[in-house]
Amino acid sequence: MSKDIWFLLPAVVFVLATVAYPLVYNVGQSFFDVGIKEIVQGGADFVGFDNYSDQFARDAFWRATGISVLYTSASVILTLLVGLGLALLFNADFPGRNLLRAFVLAAWILPTVVSANLWRFILDGTYGLFNAILQSVGLIDDDVFWLGDPFTALIGVTAATSWSFAPFAMILLLAGLQSISPTLYEAALIDGASAWQQFWRVTLPILRPVVLTTALICFIYTFKTFDTVFLMTGGGPGGATTILPIYAYDQAFTFYDFGKAAVATTVLLIIPIMLSIPYFRSLRKEDRS
Amino acid sequence: MNRLKMVGRRRMVPAALATVVFLIPVYWMLITSLKQREDVFSRPPSLIPLPPTLDSYIAAFADASLTRALLNTLIIAVGTTIITLVVALPASYGLARLNIPFLPAILMLFLVVQMVPSVNLALPLFALFSSAGLVNTFAGLIIANASLAIPLAITIMRPYFLAVPNDVIEAAKTDGCNNFTAFLRIALPVSSPGIVTVGVITFLGAWGEFVFGLALATREDLQPVTVVIAGLTNEFGIRWNDLMAASTIIALPVIIAFIFLQRYIVAGLTEGATKS
Repeated sequence: MSKDIWFLLPAVVFVLATVAYPLVYNVGQSFFDVGIKEIVQGGADFVGFDNYSDQFARDAFWRATGISVLYTSASVILTLLVGLGLALLFNADFPGRNLLRAFVLAAWILPTVVSANLWRFILDGTYGLFNAILQSVGLIDDDVFWLGDPFTALIGVTAATSWSFAPFAMILLLAGLQSISPTLYEAALIDGASAWQQFWRVTLPILRPVVLTTALICFIYTFKTFDTVFLMTGGGPGGATTILPIYAYDQAFTFYDFGKAAVATTVLLIIPIMLSIPYFRSLRKEDRS
Repeated sequence: MNRLKMVGRRRMVPAALATVVFLIPVYWMLITSLKQREDVFSRPPSLIPLPPTLDSYIAAFADASLTRALLNTLIIAVGTTIITLVVALPASYGLARLNIPFLPAILMLFLVVQMVPSVNLALPLFALFSSAGLVNTFAGLIIANASLAIPLAITIMRPYFLAVPNDVIEAAKTDGCNNFTAFLRIALPVSSPGIVTVGVITFLGAWGEFVFGLALATREDLQPVTVVIAGLTNEFGIRWNDLMAASTIIALPVIIAFIFLQRYIVAGLTEGATKS
């Protein structure tokens, strides 16, 4: 048995050294005054909770936290709606189903850098496809710079994020849908239930736990998103899309204040952990049963 | 049942329409990359590139910083995949089949770690790598990528090893194999679909990675292509056809892998994300 440990030891050591230790180190940094000089030479001063009181007193910090929660919540809702719509469409037997589903899934595995560039281009004010479509159907006359306005920029990054995540949600929801016994629908048909009633009375109640799990997973993954937003707007305009990860990145690499960045990343870490506790509880329950 | 089947067939057209609408962005990327420069700036934009041209791709491959960046990405992705496989395969075998103390705790560690935002690692790794001389090195970038890839790989790989029939392993042991040779000669070959899945997912993850590249490689000649094209957009914000060509080049390996391994990749990634 003692030799069996060697199978596992490299992985455990690697993960402890490259994930666990940096995370702990990062929390430690949040109690020190760390600039770029201290990064290079070491010897940062211990400042206790100064970084925390400094950050917690800043509007920009709370604004970034608020924008993060807003962006994540909106993205998760949109992701679930689109994902559920797609899942319902694909939860049927028709020729070409697997091929079409594979096409949709391509959007999900596209590198985020690619989808971010793509959406930046589509939402471009002058040459963007979105404006061209809206103008051709007469919904707008002038060019709209979607990513240049604080409100529409937030909607834009939300749309791009949901576009990437919706196929993933679709897969999870589809698995849930397929576990619903067809006899339930047959019974509903015999009782004369319309498609609409079937959805509300049969599908949705049974799907509820799957929807909740999917929502939680999407929340955790969206909350930590950095590249989509960073590449589309850089956190702008005027900080309107500065989510917490971008805020932390700016503190570190624009202002070279690593101690204060560590405060932001610590908060960034705590929120998903708190959210995932009920998730892991339910997983363990599943394992037991 | 027949009635349900009919409902199914009727869903084909809306499903096809939804797919088309959903993929308009991808279509737009592809055709923009095939457009001539003047064509990109025509208003309203043309829906098909006429005549199509490979100019943007030729320009992309003629751009030394871009090809350099692609090579960097390749080095980082291959390195990450090798390290991840070497470390994660025995670990997932151990977790699946051997007597490992604290098994639930270790499984939990690998699961929780996957939820860590890259930014949370990128900042402390920058500080730690600075003192270790690993900033602006491929080694540093590979270590950073592997840090989050290994737990994911273990989560995806463990079910494959769990599925290896016990008799096969026992038979090997009566033939004189110890745990390690049984793993090497029996479990690994039998689980090759899983290994390919994990390898491809790891490679694609590192191929598209952005945050570590941005934070840990400040020298452009070491940056991955994802970071370099981000710089490209800031300098030439309106060379959309070139940007779309570069994006397509980055997307290409992902799409090719996906065409051939779609089922495995989807199963692996959902397994990694949900552990169901």
